[in-house]
Amino acid sequence: MTAQVIVLYFAKSAELSGLKEEELVAVPTPISSEDLWGLLLQKHPRLVALQGQVVLAVHQQYVAIGDQLVTLADGDEVAVVPPLSGG
Amino acid sequence: MWSVTVFGVFIAQMSEDPREVIRLSRDWLSVQEVVDSVSSSSCGAISVFIGTTREDQVDGRKVVGLEYEAYESMVQSEFSKLCDDIRARWPSVTHVCVHHRLGWVKVGEASVVMAISSPHRHDGQLAIQHCISQLKATVPIWKKEVYDTQEASWKVNSECSWSPGPDETSSESQNLK
Repeated sequence: MTAQVIVLYFAKSAELSGLKEEELVAVPTPISSEDLWGLLLQKHPRLVALQGQVVLAVHQQYVAIGDQLVTLADGDEVAVVPPLSGG
Repeated sequence: MWSVTVFGVFIAQMSEDPREVIRLSRDWLSVQEVVDSVSSSSCGAISVFIGTTREDQVDGRKVVGLEYEAYESMVQSEFSKLCDDIRARWPSVTHVCVHHRLGWVKVGEASVVMAISSPHRHDGQLAIQHCISQLKATVPIWKKEVYDTQEASWKVNSECSWSPGPDETSSESQNLK
Protein backbone atom coordinates (compact mmCIF):
# COMPACT_ATOMS: atom_id res chain seq x y z
CA MET A 1 0.00 0.00 0.00
CA THR A 2 1.14 3.55 -0.58
CA ALA A 3 0.01 6.95 0.62
CA GLN A 4 0.36 10.56 -0.44
CA VAL A 5 1.53 12.67 2.45
CA ILE A 6 2.41 16.29 3.13
CA VAL A 7 5.91 16.83 4.49
CA LEU A 8 6.43 19.94 6.63
CA TYR A 9 9.92 21.33 7.08
CA PHE A 10 10.76 23.48 10.11
CA ALA A 11 13.69 25.62 11.18
CA LYS A 12 17.05 24.30 9.95
CA SER A 13 15.38 21.56 7.88
CA ALA A 14 13.46 24.19 5.90
CA GLU A 15 16.74 25.98 5.13
CA LEU A 16 18.45 22.73 4.12
CA SER A 17 15.61 21.54 1.87
CA GLY A 18 14.71 25.00 0.62
CA LEU A 19 11.05 24.20 1.32
CA LYS A 20 8.40 24.78 3.99
CA GLU A 21 6.26 21.93 2.70
CA GLU A 22 5.89 19.47 -0.15
CA GLU A 23 3.74 16.57 -1.23
CA LEU A 24 5.32 13.14 -1.21
CA VAL A 25 3.51 10.60 -3.38
CA ALA A 26 3.54 6.81 -3.32
CA VAL A 27 5.08 6.52 0.14
CA PRO A 28 5.00 2.85 1.18
CA THR A 29 2.89 2.17 4.27
CA PRO A 30 3.50 0.96 6.84
CA ILE A 31 7.05 2.28 6.77
CA SER A 32 9.81 2.53 9.36
CA SER A 33 10.75 6.04 10.45
CA GLU A 34 14.28 5.25 9.29
CA ASP A 35 13.07 4.44 5.76
CA LEU A 36 10.85 7.51 5.74
CA TRP A 37 13.83 9.68 6.74
CA GLY A 38 15.80 7.91 4.00
CA LEU A 39 13.21 8.96 1.41
CA LEU A 40 13.55 12.57 2.52
CA LEU A 41 17.35 12.37 2.39
CA GLN A 42 17.12 11.06 -1.16
CA LYS A 43 15.05 14.06 -2.19
CA HIS A 44 17.07 16.60 -0.18
CA PRO A 45 20.60 15.30 0.49
CA ARG A 46 21.52 18.43 2.45
CA LEU A 47 19.22 17.19 5.23
CA VAL A 48 22.06 14.85 6.19
CA ALA A 49 23.43 17.76 8.26
CA LEU A 50 20.63 16.92 10.74
CA GLN A 51 21.47 13.19 10.95
CA GLY A 52 21.34 12.12 14.59
CA GLN A 53 19.78 15.43 15.63
CA VAL A 54 16.29 15.11 14.22
CA VAL A 55 12.99 13.34 14.81
CA LEU A 56 9.85 13.15 12.71
CA ALA A 57 6.32 13.97 13.81
CA VAL A 58 3.59 11.77 12.35
CA HIS A 59 -0.01 12.43 13.38
CA GLN A 60 1.48 15.05 15.69
CA GLN A 61 3.40 12.46 17.69
CA TYR A 62 7.19 12.53 17.79
CA VAL A 63 8.80 9.48 16.21
CA ALA A 64 12.52 8.82 16.64
CA ILE A 65 14.43 7.77 13.53
CA GLY A 66 14.67 4.01 13.81
CA ASP A 67 12.75 0.82 13.20
CA GLN A 68 9.44 2.07 14.61
CA LEU A 69 6.73 1.50 11.99
CA VAL A 70 4.31 4.27 11.11
CA THR A 71 1.07 3.82 9.17
CA LEU A 72 0.34 6.60 6.73
CA ALA A 73 -2.90 7.59 5.02
CA ASP A 74 -3.51 10.04 2.19
CA GLY A 75 -3.28 13.61 3.41
CA ASP A 76 -1.31 12.80 6.57
CA GLU A 77 1.23 15.35 7.76
CA VAL A 78 4.81 14.30 8.39
CA ALA A 79 6.98 16.96 9.99
CA VAL A 80 10.76 17.13 10.07
CA VAL A 81 11.62 18.23 13.61
CA PRO A 82 15.12 19.57 14.33
CA PRO A 83 16.13 20.07 18.01
CA LEU A 84 13.57 22.28 19.74
CA SER A 85 14.43 25.75 21.01
CA GLY A 86 11.25 27.27 22.35
CA GLY A 87 11.09 29.37 25.50
CA MET B 1 -38.66 1.25 58.67
CA TRP B 2 -35.62 3.33 58.10
CA SER B 3 -35.87 7.01 58.38
CA VAL B 4 -32.82 8.78 57.23
CA THR B 5 -32.50 12.45 57.56
CA VAL B 6 -29.75 13.85 55.52
CA PHE B 7 -28.30 17.11 56.55
CA GLY B 8 -26.60 18.67 53.63
CA VAL B 9 -25.08 21.99 53.11
CA PHE B 10 -25.33 23.11 49.54
CA ILE B 11 -22.00 24.65 48.62
CA ALA B 12 -22.21 26.92 45.64
CA GLN B 13 -19.57 25.93 43.10
CA MET B 14 -17.34 28.98 43.35
CA SER B 15 -14.26 27.59 41.61
CA GLU B 16 -14.28 27.75 37.85
CA ASP B 17 -13.32 24.93 35.50
CA PRO B 18 -9.53 24.66 35.29
CA ARG B 19 -8.22 26.57 32.29
CA GLU B 20 -5.12 26.08 30.19
CA VAL B 21 -4.23 28.31 27.30
CA ILE B 22 -1.22 28.64 25.05
CA ARG B 23 -1.22 31.56 22.66
CA LEU B 24 1.34 32.27 19.94
CA SER B 25 1.59 35.96 19.12
CA ARG B 26 3.55 38.14 16.72
CA ASP B 27 2.98 41.15 18.97
CA TRP B 28 4.78 42.04 22.20
CA LEU B 29 3.46 40.11 25.18
CA SER B 30 1.49 41.56 28.07
CA VAL B 31 2.44 40.09 31.42
CA GLN B 32 -0.72 41.58 32.94
CA GLU B 33 -2.92 39.80 30.42
CA VAL B 34 -1.32 36.44 31.19
CA VAL B 35 -1.62 37.03 34.95
CA ASP B 36 -5.24 38.14 34.64
CA SER B 37 -6.18 35.01 32.71
CA VAL B 38 -5.10 32.71 35.55
CA SER B 39 -6.32 34.69 38.53
CA SER B 40 -9.05 33.07 40.59
CA SER B 41 -10.73 33.75 43.90
CA SER B 42 -9.77 30.22 44.98
CA CYS B 43 -6.07 30.90 44.41
CA GLY B 44 -3.73 32.61 46.83
CA ALA B 45 -0.73 32.39 44.52
CA ILE B 46 0.11 33.23 40.94
CA SER B 47 3.53 32.01 39.87
CA VAL B 48 5.05 33.72 36.85
CA PHE B 49 8.00 33.09 34.55
CA ILE B 50 9.12 35.54 31.88
CA GLY B 51 11.78 34.55 29.34
CA THR B 52 13.51 37.52 27.76
CA THR B 53 15.79 37.89 24.79
CA ARG B 54 19.35 38.29 26.01
CA GLU B 55 22.04 40.31 24.25
CA ASP B 56 24.49 37.43 24.08
CA GLN B 57 27.98 37.62 22.65
CA VAL B 58 28.88 34.56 20.59
CA ASP B 59 32.35 34.39 19.01
CA GLY B 60 32.66 38.16 19.00
CA ARG B 61 29.23 38.58 17.38
CA LYS B 62 26.42 40.29 19.27
CA VAL B 63 22.85 38.95 19.26
CA VAL B 64 20.46 41.61 17.97
CA GLY B 65 17.31 39.52 18.11
CA LEU B 66 15.60 36.14 17.74
CA GLU B 67 13.37 34.75 15.01
CA TYR B 68 10.80 32.22 16.26
CA GLU B 69 8.77 29.69 14.30
CA ALA B 70 6.41 26.92 15.39
CA TYR B 71 4.51 23.83 14.26
CA GLU B 72 1.35 25.49 15.47
CA SER B 73 -1.15 22.63 15.52
CA MET B 74 1.29 20.41 17.36
CA VAL B 75 2.09 23.19 19.87
CA GLN B 76 -1.50 22.86 21.05
CA SER B 77 -1.42 19.08 21.44
CA GLU B 78 1.98 19.06 23.19
CA PHE B 79 0.89 21.87 25.51
CA SER B 80 -2.20 19.86 26.42
CA LYS B 81 0.02 16.90 27.39
CA LEU B 82 2.29 19.24 29.34
CA CYS B 83 -0.68 20.55 31.35
CA ASP B 84 -1.93 17.00 32.00
CA ASP B 85 1.53 16.22 33.38
CA ILE B 86 1.52 19.35 35.58
CA ARG B 87 -1.93 18.54 36.95
CA ALA B 88 -0.93 14.95 37.67
CA ARG B 89 2.12 16.10 39.65
CA TRP B 90 0.45 19.07 41.38
CA PRO B 91 -3.31 18.49 41.48
CA SER B 92 -3.94 21.78 43.25
CA VAL B 93 -2.80 23.78 40.19
CA THR B 94 -5.80 25.71 38.94
CA HIS B 95 -5.12 27.67 35.74
CA VAL B 96 -2.16 27.67 33.34
CA CYS B 97 -1.51 30.31 30.71
CA VAL B 98 1.43 30.63 28.31
CA HIS B 99 1.93 33.35 25.71
CA HIS B 100 4.84 32.83 23.34
CA ARG B 101 6.19 35.06 20.59
CA LEU B 102 6.43 34.12 16.94
CA GLY B 103 8.50 35.97 14.37
CA TRP B 104 11.02 38.65 15.24
CA VAL B 105 11.80 39.42 18.90
CA LYS B 106 14.30 42.20 19.67
CA VAL B 107 16.86 41.92 22.46
CA GLY B 108 15.26 42.93 25.76
CA GLU B 109 11.73 41.88 24.81
CA ALA B 110 9.90 38.99 26.44
CA SER B 111 9.74 35.90 24.24
CA VAL B 112 7.59 33.86 26.63
CA VAL B 113 5.34 34.73 29.56
CA MET B 114 3.72 32.01 31.62
CA ALA B 115 1.57 32.07 34.74
CA ILE B 116 0.13 29.35 36.96
CA SER B 117 -2.38 29.88 39.74
CA SER B 118 -2.73 27.64 42.77
CA PRO B 119 -4.34 27.89 46.20
CA HIS B 120 -0.92 27.99 47.87
CA ARG B 121 2.43 29.03 46.51
CA HIS B 122 4.47 25.83 46.90
CA ASP B 123 2.80 23.84 44.13
CA GLY B 124 2.63 26.82 41.80
CA GLN B 125 6.34 27.59 42.16
CA LEU B 126 7.30 23.99 41.40
CA ALA B 127 4.80 23.76 38.55
CA ILE B 128 6.07 26.91 36.81
CA GLN B 129 9.66 25.58 36.84
CA HIS B 130 8.47 22.30 35.39
CA CYS B 131 6.36 24.12 32.82
CA ILE B 132 9.28 26.05 31.30
CA SER B 133 11.58 23.00 31.35
CA GLN B 134 8.99 20.83 29.66
CA LEU B 135 8.09 23.50 27.14
CA LYS B 136 11.75 23.63 26.13
CA ALA B 137 11.88 19.84 25.90
CA THR B 138 8.67 19.05 24.02
CA VAL B 139 6.77 21.97 22.47
CA PRO B 140 7.62 22.35 18.74
CA ILE B 141 8.94 25.90 18.68
CA TRP B 142 12.35 26.94 17.28
CA LYS B 143 14.42 30.08 17.53
CA LYS B 144 17.20 31.44 15.40
CA GLU B 145 19.69 33.92 16.84
CA VAL B 146 20.45 36.81 14.53
CA TYR B 147 23.78 38.61 15.01
CA ASP B 148 24.99 42.11 14.27
CA THR B 149 27.04 40.57 11.46
CA GLN B 150 23.73 39.57 9.83
CA GLU B 151 24.59 35.91 10.31
CA ALA B 152 22.12 33.66 12.07
CA SER B 153 22.10 30.29 13.79
CA TRP B 154 19.36 27.96 15.00
CA LYS B 155 19.50 27.33 18.74
CA VAL B 156 19.04 23.94 20.39
CA ASN B 157 17.62 23.39 23.88
CA SER B 158 19.67 21.05 26.07
CA GLU B 159 16.27 19.89 27.49
CA CYS B 160 15.32 18.47 24.06
CA SER B 161 16.19 14.78 23.90
CA TRP B 162 17.31 14.87 20.26
CA SER B 163 19.60 17.87 20.62
CA PRO B 164 23.25 17.04 19.95
CA GLY B 165 25.20 16.22 23.13
CA PRO B 166 27.93 18.53 24.43
CA ASP B 167 30.62 16.48 22.71
CA GLU B 168 28.78 16.15 19.40
CA THR B 169 29.44 18.78 16.80
CA SER B 170 26.59 20.93 15.73
CA SER B 171 26.86 23.80 13.36
CA GLU B 172 24.56 25.57 15.81
CA SER B 173 25.17 26.35 19.46
CA GLN B 174 23.50 25.12 22.65
CA ASN B 175 20.88 27.24 24.35
CA LEU B 176 21.61 27.58 28.05
CA LYS B 177 18.92 30.04 29.18
